[in-house]
Amino acid sequence: MNQNLEAIKNEYISKIANLKNDQELESLRIELFGRNGLINNLFSKIKDIPNEEKKQYGANLNQLKTELEQLLSNKKVEKSEKLTSEKLTSTIFGLPKIGHLHPLTQTERQLNEVFRKLGFSIYNSPEIVTDEYNFARLNVPQNHPARDMQDTIYIKEPEYLLRTQTSAIEAYLLAQKNKNLPIRAAFPGSVYRNEKVNRSNHFVFHQYQAVVVDKNVTMKDLIGTMDLMFKTLYGPDVIVRYRAKYYPEVEPGVGPDMQCFNCHGEGCPLCKYAGWIEMGGSGMIHPKVLEMAGIDSKIWSGFAFGMGLDRWTMAQKNIKDIRTLMGGNLAYKPNEL
Amino acid sequence: MKLIYSHLKKFLPNLNIEPHQLRDDLTMIGHFTNFYEEIDNEIVFDLDIKVNRGDCLGYYGLARDLSVFYNIELKQLNLNLPKQESKYQLPINIKTNKVKRVMAVKLSNLKNSTSPEWLKTFLKCHGSKSINTIVDLTNYIMFLYGIPNHAFDTAKSTDNLIWEINSKFKKFTSLDGSKLNLNNDILMINNPNQALSLSFWGGEACAISQNTQEIIIEVAVYDRTLVRQNSRQLKSVTEASVRLEKDLDEELIPIAFNHLTNLILENCKGQITSQVFDYYPQKIDLPKINFDFNQPSLISGIEIPIDFTSDCFKRLGCLINNNFITPPSIRKDISIEADLIEEAVRFWGYQKIPINKALPFKTLEDITPKEIYLIENLKDQLINLGYDEILSWPLVTNSNDPKTVITTQNSINSEAIYLRQSLTQSLIKQLDQYQRFKLPNPQFFEIGKIFYKEGDHFLEKNSLALYHHDSKQLISDLQTLNLKAEIKNNNFAEIIIDDLKKLDHYLPQDISNQAIELNSQIITLDANIILDTKQDPIKLINKYSQNIGPKILWTLIITDIYQDPKTNKYRYTFQASYFNTDDKTAKAIHLKTFDLL
Repeated sequence: MNQNLEAIKNEYISKIANLKNDQELESLRIELFGRNGLINNLFSKIKDIPNEEKKQYGANLNQLKTELEQLLSNKKVEKSEKLTSEKLTSTIFGLPKIGHLHPLTQTERQLNEVFRKLGFSIYNSPEIVTDEYNFARLNVPQNHPARDMQDTIYIKEPEYLLRTQTSAIEAYLLAQKNKNLPIRAAFPGSVYRNEKVNRSNHFVFHQYQAVVVDKNVTMKDLIGTMDLMFKTLYGPDVIVRYRAKYYPEVEPGVGPDMQCFNCHGEGCPLCKYAGWIEMGGSGMIHPKVLEMAGIDSKIWSGFAFGMGLDRWTMAQKNIKDIRTLMGGNLAYKPNEL
Repeated sequence: MKLIYSHLKKFLPNLNIEPHQLRDDLTMIGHFTNFYEEIDNEIVFDLDIKVNRGDCLGYYGLARDLSVFYNIELKQLNLNLPKQESKYQLPINIKTNKVKRVMAVKLSNLKNSTSPEWLKTFLKCHGSKSINTIVDLTNYIMFLYGIPNHAFDTAKSTDNLIWEINSKFKKFTSLDGSKLNLNNDILMINNPNQALSLSFWGGEACAISQNTQEIIIEVAVYDRTLVRQNSRQLKSVTEASVRLEKDLDEELIPIAFNHLTNLILENCKGQITSQVFDYYPQKIDLPKINFDFNQPSLISGIEIPIDFTSDCFKRLGCLINNNFITPPSIRKDISIEADLIEEAVRFWGYQKIPINKALPFKTLEDITPKEIYLIENLKDQLINLGYDEILSWPLVTNSNDPKTVITTQNSINSEAIYLRQSLTQSLIKQLDQYQRFKLPNPQFFEIGKIFYKEGDHFLEKNSLALYHHDSKQLISDLQTLNLKAEIKNNNFAEIIIDDLKKLDHYLPQDISNQAIELNSQIITLDANIILDTKQDPIKLINKYSQNIGPKILWTLIITDIYQDPKTNKYRYTFQASYFNTDDKTAKAIHLKTFDLL
């Protein structure tokens, strides 16, 4: 029996030596080690071996198996053309496709998570709004110079327009939920300005805003919450200063500036030599805004803050052209290689 | 707004702050200062003045803010006019109520010339060109006080100046030679025969030259809304229009007027040859604001001493009468209590407010609209299926349905006039883009608004559009998402999310986080019920769950539904698990609930 094993070994050493390609190698592997292959067959015959020979036979068979496995694994053969082609086109052998959220959605989700943990709802409202909700209810009456801060795209001038700021969502929120106080809501949204589209400007961009109306809300709450948001987005070491700033819908107004990550406050072309980058606007909701929404400003106070998402997202993803974000040449690697 | 450090010190002689510190302090109190630079040995700051602070479009207003912030003296310049001998009254006619105040005077026997070096440097630092001494001094005063003014060469204009809303002149040529077509509602300064000046831009017709010997100077403030409208209509923005469309202080006019007159007399000699004309029909009524001195602390969330607030208001020039505060006329932005609170907090210092005290968590009613949850849910499912999210332009070149398309009125982008009515067209464009880059096997989606009109109403809906390079897989993925959609061009599908029924189906379920201490074994019992017709299993589970009640029901599931081929009736096999009760009670409730008695 052991002589048989020796013959088998020699036969297969020769066969392995003559293998030409990986297809032949695979066939031989199955012939030897497949479920119904030669080695399994030989193992199944142990029961027929006389008892005194069983131990030696088993040892020899194991040795044969190990040696042939070793020879097969060390055998280098050319890959067959056909198999290579099949592998590349077959999804069975490809890595699974991974879908991706848009970078702006990813940023929105990061922020939503921060605010949901603080008890905020996520809110939205129409993008076509009336002058009343985009301006008047935010303390910007007709002919107010603050309107020049935003070039408006009109649908039907002067009444219907595409919202120029997410504060328009705030105006809706306050009007609709003025009996559901207190309120905590955050809202990502598209906003529109009548700007020429080029590498750095677009007529549509994205803002994120958060609003709180409650009793005894303070600037300390506002600044603390904003700082938490910035640390979530930019990391714990980010340096943000909070300064006086004017927006008609808030008072006192607060402007957050982030220390320039490029020059660390020294001044460079990126921050226009200020050392700081403006990060949006905020403040305590103006009493007139609350009153226009039917909320008693003697009882309730609140804060609001908003920031643009496009520039931050572009910096994070190293995108140089704002058009890339909206229907441009933005793509995603299909899997983790 | 440019600010020259050395000239700021004319109002703040004790100012002794390093330029970088001054830049940061100006920024912190609300006047964002990008940078400062050195021009001809002068340190020049570049400030962003906010629209509500017209007073800070001049050195004087900024100096007032800084004198409060640094608690240093604000020097009031002694600016009385020389004694006037002339009895001559200027024949000025104000024909419109859009003029809030005008002061004017005639100066004669002047010797105009090129400007002195200090004045040329000043204007250079402000980005203005030097013309001649008289013109440059009018600009200097505008920059100093933020109040525009004008000088007319009376040899060309005559003394018969008329402030009026234009009704007869069609053309106007400005000082720089720009030719403008005039409307009827432009505020102008004319003489009976000539258009002389816009409210915010002088005219060529009466320009000052080096030969000018006799002038009328005027300093005025107008209805700012009209100036703004005029400036926009004529598409002309000047240093004067930027200022005149803000709320300027009529009470500051005499100071600026006297200063200008003195400077011209000082630099060009000459005499005053008329009485001072002062048209001021309606004196401004300053507000009296009822103020609670505790409010700055309550709103800021930090302790701001009442003494500090009171002192701050005094230094701002407010009159304090118990709890009633009257702000100075120059501070047009202060009219209600919130304005005063802001003053107290910004001068106390925003940097004193701690930054590490975020709002604590609070349980409030969730007012998130259902479609937001649905959109989040759909996006998650789509990326799990291998789709990439894209965003496209909501404004597009072509309309799908001209009858319902919404058109923008003033979009400056000719390729983006219509609000999109479908996302599919955006996806087609995106596919073109991907093909251009030879991207293999694209598979992407967009969720966004589509827009249309019905009669006079503008409507918008959330829509989802998908593209898959393999149309069979697209159909399969839609089935996975439980969405029905028509397949367009083999590989595209679009579903209007807002039209989906039963949005609740997609919403995350409320999960009870209640932890339970088990004190007895859970008892599980089966029950078969026979029904004549097929029923919704979820409704059956809801019905029996309510009958048993949450206090003892651990879980209830249907393990089998079987239709008897002989009777055609349906058998539903339930498995109910009970807790918090004993065997006997559980069995009794079980039999009763499933009508097994």
